[in-house]
Amino acid sequence: EYEEKTGRAHRPLSPKQNVRKNLDFEPLSTTALILEDRPANLPAKPAEEAQKHRQQYEEMVVQAKKRELKEAQKRKKQLEERCKLEDSIGSAVLTWNNEILPNWETMCCSRKVRELWWQGIPPSVRGKVWSLAIGNELNITHELYDICLARAKEKWRSLSTGGAEVECEDAGFSAADREASLELIKLDISRTFPNLCIFQQGGPYHDTLHSILGAYTCYRPDVGYVQGMSFIAAVLILNLDTADAFIAFSNLLNKPCQMAFFRVDHGLMLTYFAAFEVFFEENLPKLFAHFKKNNLTPDIYLIDWIFTLYSKSLPLDLACRVWDVFCRDGEEFLFRTALGILKLFEDILTKMDFIHIAQFLTKLPEDLPSEEFFTSIAAIQMQSRNKKWAQVKRLLIFDNR
Amino acid sequence: MQKHSQKEHLYKLLVIGDLGVGKTSIIKRYVHQNFSPHYRATIGVDFALKVLSWDAETVVRLQLWDIAGQERFGNMTRVYYREAMGAFIVFDVTRPATFEAVTKWKEDLDSKLVLPNGKPVPTVLLANKCDQGIDVLMNNGIKMDQFCKENGFVGWFETSAKENININEASRCLVKHIIASESDPVQSIESDIIKPHLNSSKIVSCSACFKS
Repeated sequence: EYEEKTGRAHRPLSPKQNVRKNLDFEPLSTTALILEDRPANLPAKPAEEAQKHRQQYEEMVVQAKKRELKEAQKRKKQLEERCKLEDSIGSAVLTWNNEILPNWETMCCSRKVRELWWQGIPPSVRGKVWSLAIGNELNITHELYDICLARAKEKWRSLSTGGAEVECEDAGFSAADREASLELIKLDISRTFPNLCIFQQGGPYHDTLHSILGAYTCYRPDVGYVQGMSFIAAVLILNLDTADAFIAFSNLLNKPCQMAFFRVDHGLMLTYFAAFEVFFEENLPKLFAHFKKNNLTPDIYLIDWIFTLYSKSLPLDLACRVWDVFCRDGEEFLFRTALGILKLFEDILTKMDFIHIAQFLTKLPEDLPSEEFFTSIAAIQMQSRNKKWAQVKRLLIFDNR
Repeated sequence: MQKHSQKEHLYKLLVIGDLGVGKTSIIKRYVHQNFSPHYRATIGVDFALKVLSWDAETVVRLQLWDIAGQERFGNMTRVYYREAMGAFIVFDVTRPATFEAVTKWKEDLDSKLVLPNGKPVPTVLLANKCDQGIDVLMNNGIKMDQFCKENGFVGWFETSAKENININEASRCLVKHIIASESDPVQSIESDIIKPHLNSSKIVSCSACFKS
């Protein structure tokens, strides 16, 4: 419709061929109405006025041409960048598929792979890389998943009909089990990435998320369902088939840091926070002092970030990139990411008081700039007086004993 | 121009109760005047700030601590009770189990937090989602009044974050009791008996909060 309009607007131009000839392309946004002769019932335009109009028109054309050329160049550049990005993703996919994945054990720790890894894993191979990196220490098979799921379904059925025998059988785990009940998981599923509308009742992944969480409560009744798990399972479902997502989920939660948090081992969690503070002070001493002064303890913002592995607080694409490197570097990267966030916003955070910092960190800006964000993380040194994360943590655990 | 004579109060308020009863929704409605059925689950604690011009001379800043409801987080989130001046305990009228948990939340709160004068912090009970038309207990307001007296709530309200019902009223009730408890001089718990006039005035202001 737009072209039609501009086309019509250009038609009156045709008598003024001399003006049009020296244009290599027609600016879309100009019309030459001022070049028109006056209607017959009015006195004709004096020559100098017509000349002036012609000049004005030419100036307008030149300006418009400049603007459009600039726009066109910008579009071309954007397109080139996108093509370049797509090319690099395309070639990265090839490298991952043809070189790295078939030789995982020997290649996964090489410098080249580690660097490629930092750039972000292409979505099409992401699930595979995550699975390999997380591993399957627990030796969970697809059959085990099916068995756990069948048990979960049985339990839900008897819960909804109020069966008594199940209660007896599970008496030993009554507290955890009550929390693991159908209702709790159901409540949280509807509140997992609600804006994506795929995990909610009637959405395509609703049952999958339900199944994985249910199966896990049967696999690990001592842990049960804990808030935050639904977000982790959801991110895995977006990248893996159901049974593989379950295997990755169970193995991920079995890692020391995740076990400490999901079992709400308060002492151990405090140790993690203390280790985090060592690196916080080392990397951002000014902000650290400001937080101390305002009584802003790390639990206030870290709990949400660690429990959901950033999937709730960061935009999903950034969260996945954090997961990429988390799979490469382990738990210390979760804390490095936290410091990266603090560093990125250091200037504004230093000007805020307690409640505003707390609000800011529990609800990060939605338009986090991805490159700056990862540059900021990269600038964080996970070394404190020659001690690495694991050593600092070990010393703190030792101190607590 | 009268700014210099204005008093400013800062109160930390807790919002607690079982998972999914609508704590975050109530806060969003109260602070941002909006509602969405799509809030994400709260993990740990979320924050909000509400500034009230209480009267000509007083500004009240409310620091709202929206605490995750899962029982398991108990150990971890109790540290957030520290220095709170008041609390809302929320339950969902469509889920009786969340009402049964109210006394547990109240006992837990009182055992971990007392005002400098030794009294429990003023707490208002919110019966949320009253727009759902599923009344599990609401047709007996007298019993609820009784329940609140027995369990030490300063008032209760049927609320709806969705329809914006009674949330401002509940907050005014809580703030009024906080201000009253602040002007209460530091003294032992027996003060209730020693100074009956103070106590009775409280009952009047309290029942004013109750729906008639």
